[in-house]
Amino acid sequence: MALNPWLAIIIWGVIIIVMTGPMLTLPIFWSRRKPDPFRDMPFESGQVPQGEARHRLIMQYYPYLLMFVVFDVVGMFLFAWGISFTKLPLESSAFVILFIVLLGAPLGYALKLALNKENW
Amino acid sequence: MVSLAIPSDIAFVILTVVTITAAIMALHAKELIYGAVSLAVSFIGIAGFFALLDAPYLAMLQIAIYVGAIVVLILFTIMLVRRDQAPEIDEQTNSESPVGLWLAGLLALAISGVVALAGASLPTGEPPANLQVSDLGPVLTSQYPVPLIVLALLLSASLLGALVLAKVER
Amino acid sequence: MVVFPPTTPAELVALVIRIITSHTFITVVVFPGFIHLTVVVIFLTWYERKLLARIQLRIGPLYAGGPGGLFQPLADGVKLIFKEVMIPYKASKPLFLGIPVLLVFLSALPFAVIPFGQHWVIANIDVGLVFVFAMTSLFPSMILLFAWASNSKYPFLGGLRSLFQQVAYEIPMWISTLSIVLLAGSLNLVDIVRAQQKIWFIVPAFLSFVVFFISIMAELERLPFDLPEAEPELVAGWYTEASGAIFMLIFMGLYMKLYLMSSLVTVLFLGGWWGPTILPQPVWFILKSLIVATFIIIPRGVYPRIRVDMLIKIGWTRLLIIALANVFLTIILIGTGFMTAWGI
Repeated sequence: MALNPWLAIIIWGVIIIVMTGPMLTLPIFWSRRKPDPFRDMPFESGQVPQGEARHRLIMQYYPYLLMFVVFDVVGMFLFAWGISFTKLPLESSAFVILFIVLLGAPLGYALKLALNKENW
Repeated sequence: MVSLAIPSDIAFVILTVVTITAAIMALHAKELIYGAVSLAVSFIGIAGFFALLDAPYLAMLQIAIYVGAIVVLILFTIMLVRRDQAPEIDEQTNSESPVGLWLAGLLALAISGVVALAGASLPTGEPPANLQVSDLGPVLTSQYPVPLIVLALLLSASLLGALVLAKVER
Repeated sequence: MVVFPPTTPAELVALVIRIITSHTFITVVVFPGFIHLTVVVIFLTWYERKLLARIQLRIGPLYAGGPGGLFQPLADGVKLIFKEVMIPYKASKPLFLGIPVLLVFLSALPFAVIPFGQHWVIANIDVGLVFVFAMTSLFPSMILLFAWASNSKYPFLGGLRSLFQQVAYEIPMWISTLSIVLLAGSLNLVDIVRAQQKIWFIVPAFLSFVVFFISIMAELERLPFDLPEAEPELVAGWYTEASGAIFMLIFMGLYMKLYLMSSLVTVLFLGGWWGPTILPQPVWFILKSLIVATFIIIPRGVYPRIRVDMLIKIGWTRLLIIALANVFLTIILIGTGFMTAWGI
């Protein structure tokens, strides 16, 4: 049966869920669950936790998240071009090379801004 | 032979239900993080639509960029808001008035009226035959080189703008 | 003849036998499907413990039965199922319970497109490589959500560090793979392996291989990129609060990801299933993947940990530049006709 590959992926996904589902549902029957305020305290190597748990965010690497979004898009466009690189004349690929080179200067400036720790 | 419903129709119905439910839940979630997770689910639903429309590359692009990068940014931004500084949302008026339902009903009526009146001039549901992923590259570089360069400039402008806006002025 | 729907028991049996012996069923369930995946992942947990033990002049698991403690992972799995799942105070239950399952799902899903042999692939889609990358790009957000869901400081900080580290090494991973796509001319993983019949891509794209290898070690959070799990600092990083079945799911998800990344290195750089025909093709593939996994595991016993800000800086500055340089190098290599001797 020549199966549509996407249907094969869906079947594979269903099989994974069906097979790993018991791993989460079996412990409901086989393990004990007695919520205990002392055992359920967040683990801090013995001391009582104080203050809010989700308090401190690390803002130092926030510019890298922004750069990631942009270079995610760039990477996807480059993959689209890379497939047909060997079949295209060099003039067409010159535009994509110009695309990469044009993003070089903003990359450099963004890195310079991101590495400067006082900015964040 | 029993005639089963066409698999793509079943997939379409499932994807529609999932996407719209996730989008509605993203608006109505009490906790913002659950709203962001529902938004990620609706993005995955849209990626499913792209895959159904014979554009698998676009589906993967959608998942990698939207769910992989933008949802991370949204989550990070939600975590920036501290609990004691979050404003109290008064939910009472939203859930009691039927204005939303009335508007949705009117919109559905208008759209079905327009589609019914258009009638024969609608395009038929046949997809263009045999689109390949390798068609993207030549089209992108030979037919649309200028938008490619404009895209590069746009991306760099948005990147630098976001960084300069977000940095701390000392 | 197979009739659907079956009306007599004989027809039902015929239908079931036809399904079980069909190529689709065997690929999805047995090889390279679910049974093979679980067996190899369980073997990898034992293998890592034994290998690290030998490097550290210990013996490792020994008493759980089988030669050299081979049934240790099974014993661990059974033990973890019976343990209590402790949900921390005011943790978000749906996220805490649901994300480990999603982690295993996302680690196992890309195996559908990885070809273990010429005809041993579950789904031969045209965008296989980008499919794998799209699935692995979902990991940082899931780790952040799990770390947020366990309402505790150590996991939250570990989760943030892990997020930034994995995000930093995604882009060098993608750009280094771009050289391979340029050489092979396709995103289909089967075509990429077929293009390596004469020469493995590690030779023309060696810098890419180096960048990719380092990037996947950072993606897998292995030493020397271990800081999100640094034991003296963060207990266990983002999965500190996981216990029992939740921990088992996360553990399996991490080792599945290890096998996935090793298989990806084999497909992209080491020629996939090509090898002298004394051994069948899938055996070569698994052999190469296990060798790559060995080279990923060994640094864990050898190198010290790298500080996280140095790590992120290296990922964004040095590795990205090297990957881009290799893309240009590959363009020059192909453009000057250097690769035509090997059919590219």
